[in-house]
Amino acid sequence: MNITFTILSTLAIVSALLAARLRNLVYAVLSLMIFFSALAALFIVLLAEFIGAVQILVYVGAVGILILFAIMLTHHIAGSTGERIDARGWFWAIPAAGAVLFGILLPAIIYTPLPLVPSSSTYEPSVLHLGQALMSPYAATLEIMALLLTAAMIGAVVIAMTLQPGDKEKHADQN
Amino acid sequence: MAVILSNPDQAIVNLVHEALNLLQAYPALAILASILLSTLPLVVIFPSGFAFITWMERKGLARIQNRIGPNRVGVPFTNIKLFGLGQPLADGVKMLLKEDIVPRTADKFAHFLAPVLVVIPALLVLALLPFNRNMVAAGVDSAVILFFALGSVSTLAIFMAGWSSRNKYSLLGGMRAIAQMVSYEIPLVLSAVTAIMITGSLNTSRLIETQQIGTWAASNNVGLQCLSQVAGWNVFTPWGFAGFVIFFIATLAEVNRSPFDLPEADSEIIAGHLTEYSGFKYALFFLAEYIGAFAMSGLATTLFLGGWHGPNIRPWWSADPEAWIIPGALWFFLKMLLLIVLMIWVRGTFPRLRVDQLMGFAWKFLMPLSILNIFVAGAYFYLPIWIGWPAGFIILYIAYELLGRLNRGQVVARREYRYAT
Repeated sequence: MNITFTILSTLAIVSALLAARLRNLVYAVLSLMIFFSALAALFIVLLAEFIGAVQILVYVGAVGILILFAIMLTHHIAGSTGERIDARGWFWAIPAAGAVLFGILLPAIIYTPLPLVPSSSTYEPSVLHLGQALMSPYAATLEIMALLLTAAMIGAVVIAMTLQPGDKEKHADQN
Repeated sequence: MAVILSNPDQAIVNLVHEALNLLQAYPALAILASILLSTLPLVVIFPSGFAFITWMERKGLARIQNRIGPNRVGVPFTNIKLFGLGQPLADGVKMLLKEDIVPRTADKFAHFLAPVLVVIPALLVLALLPFNRNMVAAGVDSAVILFFALGSVSTLAIFMAGWSSRNKYSLLGGMRAIAQMVSYEIPLVLSAVTAIMITGSLNTSRLIETQQIGTWAASNNVGLQCLSQVAGWNVFTPWGFAGFVIFFIATLAEVNRSPFDLPEADSEIIAGHLTEYSGFKYALFFLAEYIGAFAMSGLATTLFLGGWHGPNIRPWWSADPEAWIIPGALWFFLKMLLLIVLMIWVRGTFPRLRVDQLMGFAWKFLMPLSILNIFVAGAYFYLPIWIGWPAGFIILYIAYELLGRLNRGQVVARREYRYAT
């Protein structure tokens, strides 16, 4: 368990750094995918396989492909290495980001009694409780999110719709 | 020997106890044995099944096209031909010996990684399929979600193959693959949701366990026992039938099978993402495609076709209510094989779709129907069966007709062949 955790977390950190620093955009996206996969595997090691599965489904399956599409629609299709955002002092950003993360986690670290005891001795499937929570206390939240996503989808369709012959002249006038 | 004949169950139990005692003495051996026992069969059976299916597909397509198909290669160095069953072996050796050509401008790393990355998820999802009661490599609680999640990774691998080849046709194939797989994943998942809703579980074993009629299975009447293992299948409900058909069609698209083989349409874009691959890398793509087809058929069997249940009776010498005389894995593999045969039949029968037809079919026909199917399944769950069954059937049939009529498009004038008789 500890060995698996060490391997996966090392993989996650290295691939995250590569995703931020690689010159080739497509390589950066691919190492981002490795980072997401390592994170999903970490969730599975922590017995939260549902969150791991959703991590892969949403980030590797959907977000990754979306980013790849976005790259393919630009001139970076061949993974050109000419341009990149280069900021001075990026090295100092790493400890700064680490300090911010530590600051956020500090209350949790202080208030956690050590040594840790398992909250329950038996392992229960996580999906059941998740489903029940989504259906009873958070039903309204779920519905509002569904409405929001539907609105976003309809908006995307409206934007992507081809213009009618009459609309074209109007569009040209605006330009 | 007498013990074995009079009480076969007891003999097996004794043997298992002996083996368990041995493993208890050596814990390291036990870990190794458990790893090998759960993974080795999957890694051995399915690739060899792939070899057999390639032969079957070539033979079947040949029969459909009024040819004979491979019939020369049998047992090596003999005259035994065995209907050409040695052909997969010869193909494998040919693939291994072929030169591996990588284009000079290709992205070497991604070009190498893509065939590896396409095989890994295909093999991983097999671990989630229960081939029999308790015969599942990874008994994960949310197995169906994990199955779809891992299945979506292969899209990325195919895109990598298309992009890294630095070939226009490869890139076109990769883009087509992404568009197709993302579109058809929606009806695929939505049609699977119905079975999950009714069962109330994402666990593949649990999904199968509920697809039998428990009271009949427990009775002593042999006919009822036999019927109980078939009548409970989800495919015999209106939502189950519609769900199964949608799932099967979406499966064809997900694994790039004809008539949805646009990403590798050889008459339009050479071989799509496979254009710049040769030798064993090419074979790996095909391995992944066929194992993906196996896994998808296995999931269809799990969700709709009753998994390991099949016409079966309880052994008369055993008091165990969960014991059945024909191994359930046999039924599972038989159903999987039947679905594969159906895929081959479809490939031999239907012409390839156009890109606009492909997208229209997914978004305008399959998606509304599968969303409606979810509502029908919900109503079926709460209504008594004698209302729910006919009502669900009528609603789904009307929706099918309406969607079909709405999607018909313009009617092309009937073509006249003047010079042909």
